[in-house]
Amino acid sequence: MSKKRAATKHGAGLGIGQMLGRLARQREYGMLALLALTVAAVQSINHSFLAAGNLSDMLVQCAPAAIVACGMTFIIVMGEIDISVGSMMGLLAAVVGVLVSKHHYGMSVDLSVLLTLLLGGCLGFINGLLVTVGRVPSIIVTLGMLTVLRGVTEMVLGGEWVTDLPHGLRFLGTGSLAGVPICLIVAAVVAVASIVVATQTPLGRRIYAVGSNPDAARIAGLHETRLKTLVFTLTGFLVAVATVVSVPQLSVIESGIGSGFELLVVTCVVVGGTSIKGGKGTIVGSLLGVLLLGTVRTDLIFLRLGEMSTYWERAIQGAFILAAVLVDHLVRRRGTVEAEA
Amino acid sequence: MGRQRLQSFPYWHEVILAAMLAALLVFARSVAPEFLYPGAQAEMSTHIWELALLALPMTLIIITGGIDLSVGSTMAMCAVVLGLSYQAGISPWVGALLAVLTGAAAGAANGVFVAKVRVHPLIVTLATLAAYRGVAEGISLAKPVSGFPAGFTVLGLGSVAGVPIPGLIFAVALLAAAVVLGKTTTGRSIYAIGHNELASRFSGISVDRIKLALYTLSGTAAGMAAAVFVARRNTAKADIGQGMELDVITAVVLGGTSIYGGRGRIVGTLLGVLLIHETREFVSWQWSRDELIFIVVGALLIVSVLLNTVLSPRRR
Repeated sequence: MSKKRAATKHGAGLGIGQMLGRLARQREYGMLALLALTVAAVQSINHSFLAAGNLSDMLVQCAPAAIVACGMTFIIVMGEIDISVGSMMGLLAAVVGVLVSKHHYGMSVDLSVLLTLLLGGCLGFINGLLVTVGRVPSIIVTLGMLTVLRGVTEMVLGGEWVTDLPHGLRFLGTGSLAGVPICLIVAAVVAVASIVVATQTPLGRRIYAVGSNPDAARIAGLHETRLKTLVFTLTGFLVAVATVVSVPQLSVIESGIGSGFELLVVTCVVVGGTSIKGGKGTIVGSLLGVLLLGTVRTDLIFLRLGEMSTYWERAIQGAFILAAVLVDHLVRRRGTVEAEA
Repeated sequence: MGRQRLQSFPYWHEVILAAMLAALLVFARSVAPEFLYPGAQAEMSTHIWELALLALPMTLIIITGGIDLSVGSTMAMCAVVLGLSYQAGISPWVGALLAVLTGAAAGAANGVFVAKVRVHPLIVTLATLAAYRGVAEGISLAKPVSGFPAGFTVLGLGSVAGVPIPGLIFAVALLAAAVVLGKTTTGRSIYAIGHNELASRFSGISVDRIKLALYTLSGTAAGMAAAVFVARRNTAKADIGQGMELDVITAVVLGGTSIYGGRGRIVGTLLGVLLIHETREFVSWQWSRDELIFIVVGALLIVSVLLNTVLSPRRR
């Protein structure tokens, strides 16, 4: 306790905002340390863990969650939530599959991808409208959407699988430019753009303002309705982007795609330090969360605990969240004691 | 004056739900009269009990402003405990007891995180939604256990004096929930917590103890639902109860309980459960297509809450 006091002594003149910023940054360092620890532990047991091939595979696995987590961070920072992203991914996968398939519509790959991106944006927009104009809580809207979209997906696929994906679409999932897989390039672009928006633009500041104090933001003349609708639309669009670059990695499109994806994304964002009450959280934290949780399965495989160990994947992911909130709890308690002192 | 009296009538939501239910049944009668035959309804009623059992504690939890997303996973974990203990040679009845105890422990763990560590219930139960399902998969290695003795399946399919046994369990739980919520100080405290938790704390309500009890109750109900489910299906597997939390929350919210807390009634939940049950069964009876059920139930949830916010403009 006293050590901590000494460490922050020179910062006695800091404002509350800066202090909170410090805590948030500490969270990212903690995440980074945990990630490094995990990687080092697995590497020390299995030396092929950090081989270039495996590293690239793991990043590719994380890409869709990373892309959607950027949008989800904004949504949760605004004090809302979107648990329909998994079902949305399922529907968008089905739609892009049906559009390009020779047995169905047989459209060109470019047009199908464009329509899919558009549809993703529209679905997000509908979510946003129901939350802002309809004033239905976002957990209810997206819970309803989760169910509805799953039904629509099965209707679109009609109980069948789409297997004749053209080469052009497969390339989006499996191809690479200058040796880097396309989905990694896309994920990197989305991540950098989101970080820039969040930290360097008025839009980002408005999003955080609405999330941390909606009443003050309204009085300051910010359009809560417009901002929230925008963020939901953006997330829908990002789900479509993630779908287009990740689903064609497989040669089959079936109705189970994306189930449970919403939990993974929300978990990553929350473990990454974004407060579910809004106003606090960073894109970098969410991305670290994705790296930590998205690689649990690979970690388990490389630890050579036997193939049965992968059954524990979800239990470990859940344990990570509980550990994160416990750490938060301890940090917060220390923080309030200091603030009172 | 008349308008004011109309608006202050407290049972609008229940009236709307009852009207929707009546409309559905009238429609069903005109399209497929056999759907309403007592035999058919009795047959279908075996599907309702897990949902109904879980909806009761969920109503109380949502009234306090909380939520429990882990009920489906808790059910799976309890079912696996029941299955594995039967496999180990323990009587299935003792196994069922173990399942209920497991559920209570799982719920209590949720409660500790919500009440003592003060983490948002959405996050806690999202974590345990993954964790409990993971434990169920981990300890059972995703293998099913079946072949329970015929005597045990009575728990899911048997009846006493024409009333199904799970129905009896539910009736007792329903009565208890309605009395506690409507007639006791604990019930009033539950509403108070949902309205204003801080004020409740200052006025001496033991908020933490009530929350802990409610989440424990929810886990216990999940254990009971698991026992009933396993007895009915005669199989215990780690993938049961998937998506159950959505059905339960849909039923409760459809029943007029506000997701922000402070508002809700057991009668409403009962109607919500009935409406969802009849809708699902009718859609699968008439068109036998699962995807339609998803669409109708999801749309029902959004539309009912939309109507609710439109009808009461002063709510946020």
